Amino acid sequence: MNGPAIGRPARRIGTGLLTLLLVTWVVFLLSHLVPGDAVSVGSGEESIGQRIPPERLTELRALYHLDEPVARQYGMWLRDIVRGDLGRSFHDGRPVSEKLGERLGITLTLNALSLALMIALAVPLGAAAALWPGSRSDRWTGAATYALYAVPVFWAGLLLQIVFSVRLEWLPLYGLESPEARALEMLPRIADRGAHLVLPVLCLSYGGIAYLSRFVRANLTESLHGDAVRAARARGLSLGRLLFGHAFRQASVPMLTLAGFLLPGLVGGSVIVETVFALPGLGRLFVDAVFQRDVPVIMGLTLLSGTATLAGIVSADLLYAVLDPRVRRG
Amino acid sequence: MDTRTTPPGRRLLAAAALLSIAAAACVAPPDLDNAPGVVRAGLYTEPQSLSLLGKNDRNSGIVARLVTDSVVQYDARLELQPMLATSWEVSPDGRTVTFELRDGVRWHDGAPVTARDVVFTVEKSREPATEANSFLSGFQDLVRVEALDDLTVRAEYSKPYADFLEAWTVPIIPEHLAGRDPDLLKSEFSRRPVGCGPFRFVRHEPGQEIVLEANDDYWGGKPAVEGVTLQVVPDERTAYQGLLRGDLHLLSVPPDIWAEAEATPEADRLGRLLFFRLNVWYVAWNQDGSHEAFTDPRVRRAMLLALDREPFIEKVLGGLGKAAATTYHPDSVWADPGIAPLPYDPAEASRLLDEAGWRYPDGGSVRERRSRPLEFTLLTPTSRQEISGRIAAWIQQSLAEIGVRLEIETLEFGAFLERRRSGQFEALMASLTFTPIPDQYELYHTSAAEDGFNFFSFSDPEVDRLLERGRQTFDRAEREAVYHRLQRRLEELQPLSCLFHFASPVLHDPRLRGLQPSPIDMWRITPGPRAWSWEESGPGP
Amino acid sequence: MARTGSLLAGAALLLGLAGVALAAPLLATDQPWLARGPQGLVSPAIDSLVGRRPSSRAAETAVLRAPIPYAPGRVELEDIRKPPSKAHWLGTDGLGRDVAARVVHGGRVSLTVGLLAALAALCVGLPVGAAAGYRGGWTDAAISRVVEAVLCFPALLLALVVLAMAPGWLAGLPDVLRIALVLGVTGWIPVARYLRGEFLRIRGSDMVSAARASGAGHVRVIVRHILPSALAPVLVTAAFAVGAAVLMEAALSFLGLGVRPPTPTWGGMLTEGKTHVMSAWWLALFPGIALFLAVLGCNLLGEGIRDRLDPRTRS
Repeated sequence: MNGPAIGRPARRIGTGLLTLLLVTWVVFLLSHLVPGDAVSVGSGEESIGQRIPPERLTELRALYHLDEPVARQYGMWLRDIVRGDLGRSFHDGRPVSEKLGERLGITLTLNALSLALMIALAVPLGAAAALWPGSRSDRWTGAATYALYAVPVFWAGLLLQIVFSVRLEWLPLYGLESPEARALEMLPRIADRGAHLVLPVLCLSYGGIAYLSRFVRANLTESLHGDAVRAARARGLSLGRLLFGHAFRQASVPMLTLAGFLLPGLVGGSVIVETVFALPGLGRLFVDAVFQRDVPVIMGLTLLSGTATLAGIVSADLLYAVLDPRVRRG
Repeated sequence: MDTRTTPPGRRLLAAAALLSIAAAACVAPPDLDNAPGVVRAGLYTEPQSLSLLGKNDRNSGIVARLVTDSVVQYDARLELQPMLATSWEVSPDGRTVTFELRDGVRWHDGAPVTARDVVFTVEKSREPATEANSFLSGFQDLVRVEALDDLTVRAEYSKPYADFLEAWTVPIIPEHLAGRDPDLLKSEFSRRPVGCGPFRFVRHEPGQEIVLEANDDYWGGKPAVEGVTLQVVPDERTAYQGLLRGDLHLLSVPPDIWAEAEATPEADRLGRLLFFRLNVWYVAWNQDGSHEAFTDPRVRRAMLLALDREPFIEKVLGGLGKAAATTYHPDSVWADPGIAPLPYDPAEASRLLDEAGWRYPDGGSVRERRSRPLEFTLLTPTSRQEISGRIAAWIQQSLAEIGVRLEIETLEFGAFLERRRSGQFEALMASLTFTPIPDQYELYHTSAAEDGFNFFSFSDPEVDRLLERGRQTFDRAEREAVYHRLQRRLEELQPLSCLFHFASPVLHDPRLRGLQPSPIDMWRITPGPRAWSWEESGPGP
Repeated sequence: MARTGSLLAGAALLLGLAGVALAAPLLATDQPWLARGPQGLVSPAIDSLVGRRPSSRAAETAVLRAPIPYAPGRVELEDIRKPPSKAHWLGTDGLGRDVAARVVHGGRVSLTVGLLAALAALCVGLPVGAAAGYRGGWTDAAISRVVEAVLCFPALLLALVVLAMAPGWLAGLPDVLRIALVLGVTGWIPVARYLRGEFLRIRGSDMVSAARASGAGHVRVIVRHILPSALAPVLVTAAFAVGAAVLMEAALSFLGLGVRPPTPTWGGMLTEGKTHVMSAWWLALFPGIALFLAVLGCNLLGEGIRDRLDPRTRS
């Protein structure tokens, strides 16, 4: 989605920042409008004989500035952000930047790897299907990808765990690395981590493979059998080269779309996979933060995903202009 | 296909496949034959604080008990035993206690544990910023605490409180280390805690695990296991699989997984432990007058009589529960053995409802009184355990059979707490945990409706009187009489309908020995984990 | 023939599932279809359907029972987790409730959520995408800004707030509507994007240019030229959106945010069943199959429509 503003990235960034500000304000409001706050929710356990007296609750609230007007609290947050301070979690007092940092790497790796896998599998699949539309392989791949797409993610995770971890014992069951991994050398340690990521990445990517491959196929079918192709073949280009060059170009548009979706989904998208495979990622952090009313963490995550989204959109816009000549004209 | 120009996609795929096979080859599945020295236990949530004193959620408490000791501690029979204290004396007026501390106890860094550390800990726990939530009410009436010498602590209270000793289960922290930062929760100490307990803190991988190793110089003797690693696995099923594979050695499981373990042959080799914790699953009836039915004790009693609990416990809970009578757990020393849970008696329930004026209209299936139908909404919080939904459905059907209609409303926990706090509910269902002390003033006293836990607006003068007396009577036999009388009165009036006490099932590696079930749990008692050991390694399972 | 094949297969699947879902109160009920009453034959099943209270003696005098003679909510503690048998074709769940009845009734909820959510997404996405694609220029740019803002907003927060906490007036809405609302509000962007692309293409087509050149007004152009061409993409989007929404409901159930028990939904049943996947496999298998068929049907239908009506993919 872009108007006449492509050539003015500075303005784009400016409006982007305003958008970000607006979004953070809405999120802040929402976090304070929900019933309960970090103090009243506490740790979620209730024990008679160990309850906090009400006067102490008020003291605790004052500690966290929860008794002040919402706008004032937002102002305090904003002031800290400008100084580069993301604040401390209400839940365990650790700096928000630390909590985000630990998990960012994992979520990023997970998403990047699954995107890579999606592209690596879907583009050839889609291209092959487009080469011979209506053929048996086309129909079978179509059916298979649709079947895959219809399986809910947590269900797939469960099945993968049962087959590959429990029954076959080929891959680890959960977590980031094995208990003994710390003692390993660097390379085996990376391999250990890689092994732990195989199932989660598979889980995240199978849905996108269906979408992307059908998109590629749809876009390629026409162009591969049109005049342009005949002309190219007449010029002596091999089918393989044509496929590769053309397929990637065509696929780049939906790929960018997918990447564009990936970034906003960075925070929420992999929640399920993170839960099933016990991976400490951002999605899980976000859900927990909302249930715990941990406003600084919620805001930190919003800022992160918002920035990533905007960065993604702006770069995608610029790249669209490069790749799709229609847009340049438009 | 022209092989000279394999699309890069294909090449990538092949590389990925090779890499994952290679990776898998590097990671062997855990070796089940040789007994490991370290106990790996699974936790479903991460401890909120490693400061040993702050936050006090259950998992933080587990870490605290492993890493450091307290002045006194509960044993498996719920009696408070001396730990850092060797003896204590209460003054005749009940307002002062003097503790004699054990000599020769050292912190993990070698410094001696002194009375100053105890005083420091108690004072620190009362600072709001520490958020030592569990101990705030216990030290509420504390006026002064001081170290008379290196091994003597004296504490003075504003009024006598028979259960004062429980607050002294607070984990003690070293002044010379924890006192460096004014804010304990954000201090360096809270990242690398140091205690005087049976296990030493090694490291913390946030979101993943907390590693502790045995303390060779522990005053009570070196633990028989080499260490304890607490692994955070948020999904119950994944954790269970981990236990089956040998990645984990110890896990508390929900009833469904326990039942599944009974049914799967691979789980046969696992050790099983069942104990009852001090909890009650209850339905609270709002007695503030907004729903006319619930101010009548006959109606409240009828509701409970309509529930056939034994088959539910047997079939749905798989035997992992008991029918409850009052909020006094039958396993605690204060329970009145003469009180039994209400039986299943729908005829009596009908009779009581008829007597209270709720009758069936012609052709109707829901009772009415003065044209108002007997219906209400049952509020429940979403919980990790889906058993909550099943209990609600079962109650719904059971009550429909005696002409009561109910709707189930489920709310997120925080929102649920708000509704409960503000009294905006007709009936609600949740679970409560208790500590071993018999005092339940906060729950039932009339004044507690304002600033305590009496969110259901219950008020009875005799109950109030008994609660007040119980708090101030130090004589054991006298206290027992008071609390027995209280329980009988509560059973009569049914302000809270106590449905079940749930059992806590634990599955463990069969080679792990020394686990003691107790109504608190197996971690936070003495001797607890330091008495755990591994059976001599032999042929694998 | 692959093109028509998917269309027919998808349509058949969906119609079948929808039919079963619509007929659920008659298909799976503990009230008999025909029973002997004091004055001849009566139909307790139809009675309870229209709200008349059926005679309580209907069970004894039953002449003809429903194919699945169980109510989805009927708790029977004697029959907990029984495998599929002649009495219970698909087995029973953790409270002794018949799985077949719950799958059938669950379809109503899951499909309703899917349809409503897709409708909500279309209601927002269609005008937005159309406006952006047709008018272009500043409208398009303004809409882009709005889309950016919505994309930056963490949808999960909205879902958690609206579904789990239900503050204020939202609490009055039934679960199904709330979920549809959330899915619609968060799901309209792909719809809008796709339609924007289509409207851009159509607007630039010769047919429309010719019409505009001959002086036709906007409305006329839209109604006579654009809508017919846009119909196909809208239907395609709708089909995929329903499938996606049904899957999302299952995911929400997994996170504890779906339609709350005891109402059966496929997603909820899958979540309950995952604990027992080894010992009571039927608990998760059958709702999983139902879910799978529904989403598959939607995708096949969408693909089929696209292949059939979209000129670009004709070869």
